[in-house]
Amino acid sequence: MSKRHLLAIFSNFHEAEAAVKELRNSTIKGFDANNDLIVKSPIEHPEVEEFLGDKPVHVQWFTLGGALTGGLLAFSLISGSQANFFSQLKGGKPIVPFPPNFVLTYEMFILGGVYISVLGFLICAGLPARRSPLYSAKVSEDQIGILVKTEEESAGLLKAIFTKHEALEIQEEAGK
Amino acid sequence: MSVTNLLENWSEFRHKHPVEDVPHDPYKWAMSIDMDACTGCNACSVACYAENNLPVVGKEKYAHGQSMHWIRIERYWPEDDREFPDQGAQFLPMMCQQCEAAPCETVCPVGATNHTADGLNSQIYNRCIGSRYCSANCPFKVRYFNWYDYPTTENVWPAEMVQQLNPDITLRSKGVMEKCTFCIQRIRAGERSVKNEGRILRDGEVQTACQQVCPTNAITFGNLIDPDSKVHQKWKAQRVELDVDEQVKDKEEGGSELRGYRILEELRPYPSVMYMERVRESAI
Amino acid sequence: MKDIREDIAWAKINKDVLKSLESPRKLFWVIIICALAVFGVGIGCEVYQYNTGLGVANMDNPHVWGLYIASFIFWIGMSHSGTLLSAILHLMHADWRKPIYRFAEAMTTFSLMTAGLFVAVHLGRLWQLYYALPYPNERGIWPNFQSPLLWDAMAIFTYLSSSILFLYVGMIPDLAICRDNIHTGWRKKLYTLLSLGWEGTDRQWRNFRVTYLTIACFLIPLAVSVHSIVASDFAMSQQPGWHITSFPPYFVAGALYSGCAAIITLFIILRYVFKFEEYMTLPILKKTVRLTFAISMVWTYLNLIEYATVWYSHDEVAKAVLLQKATGTYAPFWWMMNFLGSIVPLILAFKRFQTHIPVLLTVSLLLNVGMWLERWMIVAPTFSHGYYPWTWDHDQWPSMVQWGIVFGSFGWFTFLFMVFCKVFPSVSMYEVKEMVYHRSLATKRLEDTRMEASEKGAH
Repeated sequence: MSKRHLLAIFSNFHEAEAAVKELRNSTIKGFDANNDLIVKSPIEHPEVEEFLGDKPVHVQWFTLGGALTGGLLAFSLISGSQANFFSQLKGGKPIVPFPPNFVLTYEMFILGGVYISVLGFLICAGLPARRSPLYSAKVSEDQIGILVKTEEESAGLLKAIFTKHEALEIQEEAGK
Repeated sequence: MSVTNLLENWSEFRHKHPVEDVPHDPYKWAMSIDMDACTGCNACSVACYAENNLPVVGKEKYAHGQSMHWIRIERYWPEDDREFPDQGAQFLPMMCQQCEAAPCETVCPVGATNHTADGLNSQIYNRCIGSRYCSANCPFKVRYFNWYDYPTTENVWPAEMVQQLNPDITLRSKGVMEKCTFCIQRIRAGERSVKNEGRILRDGEVQTACQQVCPTNAITFGNLIDPDSKVHQKWKAQRVELDVDEQVKDKEEGGSELRGYRILEELRPYPSVMYMERVRESAI
Repeated sequence: MKDIREDIAWAKINKDVLKSLESPRKLFWVIIICALAVFGVGIGCEVYQYNTGLGVANMDNPHVWGLYIASFIFWIGMSHSGTLLSAILHLMHADWRKPIYRFAEAMTTFSLMTAGLFVAVHLGRLWQLYYALPYPNERGIWPNFQSPLLWDAMAIFTYLSSSILFLYVGMIPDLAICRDNIHTGWRKKLYTLLSLGWEGTDRQWRNFRVTYLTIACFLIPLAVSVHSIVASDFAMSQQPGWHITSFPPYFVAGALYSGCAAIITLFIILRYVFKFEEYMTLPILKKTVRLTFAISMVWTYLNLIEYATVWYSHDEVAKAVLLQKATGTYAPFWWMMNFLGSIVPLILAFKRFQTHIPVLLTVSLLLNVGMWLERWMIVAPTFSHGYYPWTWDHDQWPSMVQWGIVFGSFGWFTFLFMVFCKVFPSVSMYEVKEMVYHRSLATKRLEDTRMEASEKGAH
């Protein structure tokens, strides 16, 4: 059976929450609450995580890796360039002096951390993202959207659940 | 960039200068200036202009402080109530002190100024991008910046004077820092000529331009580690050492009657120029 | 007073902010052309200087640094405002930053770009600026990493790119709003491209929240270190009046100070121009003003500490420089700096003036003048009265070329900022919604508690 998307728009956060809870607790044929359900909202709702289940965020691993790499690369580059000179003594200081190298290592540690965090964000959040088949501009304004993917026959059940929870609008993907 | 190169350089240079275990070898160029002999005639300054192709900037720019004299004669008067205040100036020829731990070297962002193996502070015109941090950090303010493009300015070397320019020295364009080099072009030329004979330079074979023209021999220049050189003997006689920030003789009780000292040595740049104080009337 | 009303409709927030992106009125064009003209003056001066040599700036031996370095530090300092608001206050959960941090972040980015101009203008051989960049070459020559100026280059590059990334990442949800509501022309294409297909899914928000927090945590030590490194240009040298340990925190305090003052100025202007009275409310202004006052007192303290440590030290040379600042050629400017930096902000301590718009606009501009003077007074007197007596014989004043370039930089900054305000939302819509949401939750909780209490009381 082909899968279709439904998008329900709610203006009441609590009702939306209740709808999601119900969907997660129910067993509907052709609908898996973990994979086929996406909640879209105009602001971040940490409470959403509670009722959507725990989904770990991996961005900070990227940060750690990036920061350490940045710092190490910086120190190696700087010390290597200083040590590889012919005779470039400066100011009676050692050839590879620690204080200035430390300053730059610190800066590049931060640079690496920030750049790779952004990269990690893009990867973990899946951006740039292909637009969903169903979208409403209201989601970026003040309403919550619940996008579900389900088999055609279960669509009616889902619609009923949505209507029960005061969905303002239900969009349906056109039949194939 | 090879690892062998890196390790070799590391082991060779991993000590600071001035050092005891990795001393200068075979040259350490230094100077000694006797201010009692100096008459303030400015011949050294003129000779430096001639030898190093220094631009004559003109009265207006000079008054603005934009002069280019690598060696300058400073005049100091004691502030006592003498009858003729202008009389009795003391003359101090000041040029780049070629500091062992030069404050200018560490701060150049592109590394245009470094320390050579024979103890000179080198200025690489091609590398200089003109940030002027070296001059900002110099305690002696002996670094001179090319505020204008003198080679293309009129009357810097009026017609006939162009013929006296030294072909061994480049002309510096605007935006480049320059300073006294202890006539490094003469030093290198001298080293090349004795290399064929398989020896090192002897005292007196290389003279800086200022030393050469000084009528009273106030300027002594030579190899500080050569025990036969005049400059070594003068430093030794005056008990002035290169790598200290306060001389042993000054720490002794009663101080010292020896005239030799170094300027601003408490800032620890370890300058390579020793000055010998003028004998004052009040001291006799 | 509440920072923001909790009954503002979210749709209204969208509408009000998006309205600021509409085609600008005639006055906008007049001002932007003036800004470009001012910038043009700067460009003209720089072209003259580039062709003739830095001598036209009236710099000499020993006064080798002038207004370019002073202005460079001033602009870097101004850039700290955005980080303060975005990052530091974010970590402190100070919600009142939400309507105002967007334009502050923009200010950071453009201040850094303006500061970069001064690096270029200051160099003797600008066309070889790339020597300062670490690029591999066949001669194996690298820049001198020991030099504080080079640390500057690396630190500012890091700060600029991190700020741009932080600004951009934080703007993605707002760009999605713009994409959804603006349907025509190049704007639609721009917003669609930049919003990266953001749809506000839970996965996107979850990662967004963590990333924003992480970058904020990095930006704070970065901002502190950047201005400390700029301070090291002076502190790591040997010169009297510069070689002071308290310079790094002093500079950071000065940076936060001028940044906050600039925020007040731009706050008042944007509030009036875009009619953002409901979002950039007076209570928020009051909090910003109080923050500025606190920072001004910190700066005053560090300033006085510098004088005290020099005065009570045995360092005769440093004392001579301090005396020269107070009584020498630059004395009027030095006294004006102290007055503007320490006395004028005392006005901000009075409740009556903390929301008085004309007074605040004037005071914030004066504070920034004071901070600019501070930078100049750090650079110039040390050269006038350094270690070497031979150099004390002449005064030095910047030429019209220097003033022209400094003046031109303000035109450049204004131009960039005005373009930003018309292309990107200068108030963060989603954060204001969050603020209203949390406000409404808090009010509801309060009402519930009151109801419970009254019920209990009734029994």
